[in-house]
Amino acid sequence: MGTPGGDLIRVMAAGDRDAFARFYDRYAPLVFPFVLRIVRDRADAADVLQDVFWEAWRGAAAYDSARGTPEAWIITRARTRAIDRVRAVRRRGETFVAPVDEATVGAPTPPGGDAAVRAEERQLVASALAQLSQAQREIIELAYYSGLTQREIAERLEQPLGTVKTRIRLALARLREAVTPT
Amino acid sequence: MSHEPFETLAAVYAAGALDGDDLAQFEAHLPGCAECQAAVREAQDTLARAMLSARPQTPLPAVREALVRRVERTRGAGRRAWLTWAAATAVVAAVAAGFTATWVAVRYEARLGQMARETAAVKERLARNEAALQEQVALYRGAVELLRDPATRVVDLRGQGTAASASGRMIWNDAGGGHLFVAGLPPAPAGKTYALWTISGGTPRAAGLFGVDASGRSAHRIAPEVARGAVGVFAVTLEPEGGTPAPTGPIVLASK
Ligand SMILES: [Zn+2]
Repeated sequence: MGTPGGDLIRVMAAGDRDAFARFYDRYAPLVFPFVLRIVRDRADAADVLQDVFWEAWRGAAAYDSARGTPEAWIITRARTRAIDRVRAVRRRGETFVAPVDEATVGAPTPPGGDAAVRAEERQLVASALAQLSQAQREIIELAYYSGLTQREIAERLEQPLGTVKTRIRLALARLREAVTPT
Repeated sequence: MSHEPFETLAAVYAAGALDGDDLAQFEAHLPGCAECQAAVREAQDTLARAMLSARPQTPLPAVREALVRRVERTRGAGRRAWLTWAAATAVVAAVAAGFTATWVAVRYEARLGQMARETAAVKERLARNEAALQEQVALYRGAVELLRDPATRVVDLRGQGTAASASGRMIWNDAGGGHLFVAGLPPAPAGKTYALWTISGGTPRAAGLFGVDASGRSAHRIAPEVARGAVGVFAVTLEPEGGTPAPTGPIVLASK
């Protein structure tokens, strides 16, 4: 049984431009806050969003509903592109982008960032994540928003690797409860 | 080794944080384990739903506009190019006479009726699916209208090479454009798309890109603007996504 999002992707794969517009209208307002949360700059977020949806249009034919939901399909692209963007901006050193992980664990936000983005910070934290404990949210954010691997997280938090793995698993289990309609 | 450690690795993998030996070990295990595949899928879906649960924010309209413009350009956007490629297939076509236009019109009208019934059945189920079907109905209706014009030709296309079992039918009007119906074509591989070319005087002209559905079928409308001058040959090639100005890939369908 198809989902509305999956049907849109299938029609898009056939080259239907209206389906693309509907797909964009459905998912862009959801993906945008997520991308903004990672790149923390509206212009960068807009660029990333464009890349993500362009890739979705070009790659629609490769979507396989057996391998994941449309939401997972689009968010995986968005995450990869957004993290790439943060790393590229840091490498170029053109703009100082506050490392998301520092901000989320409570380090002082360096001056010169996008004030509007900082002001909206609270709203950008996905509401399902807000239902996790502080420690659980932190570990999901380090992995998913900041793109750190388990070893990097273990170093950052000064915790054994095994503990980090278990915490990720437990945090995901809790998250599943948070997103499962009751 | 018990399976339990893999369940933890599946969660870390889904969160994109697996590395080192754990990653190598899990990636070796994953293809053969339906349980872990399901666990990864579920965890990725959980993360996606969580990440998309922030308060929606509509990005600037300029982003949408730029994308829509870009998407419009991906279809039928071939520039003129003059390749010797065409010379091989550019024989001025004798119109395939196997079917008269009237007979074909009857067939398509029957299909129209069937699609109208399908549309009604789907209506309750899914509005978006219905929109897609309605578009198809409009397409068939356009084909039937075109067939009523005495100047309209019906040209059969035959599968070539690895797509020998494919077939196509072009309903073509030099002034009004055309409709291409394709069957038996394998879905284009990732990164590829099918491209239709109209060839007149040895010159291929891009006539749009299309994909096929899971059953290998496709219905592709060719706008009147594309129909400039008498077309001799129609051909379909496999091209990189986004199209190319001139045919580069293998020919999968061609008229005589
Ligand atoms: Zn397993």
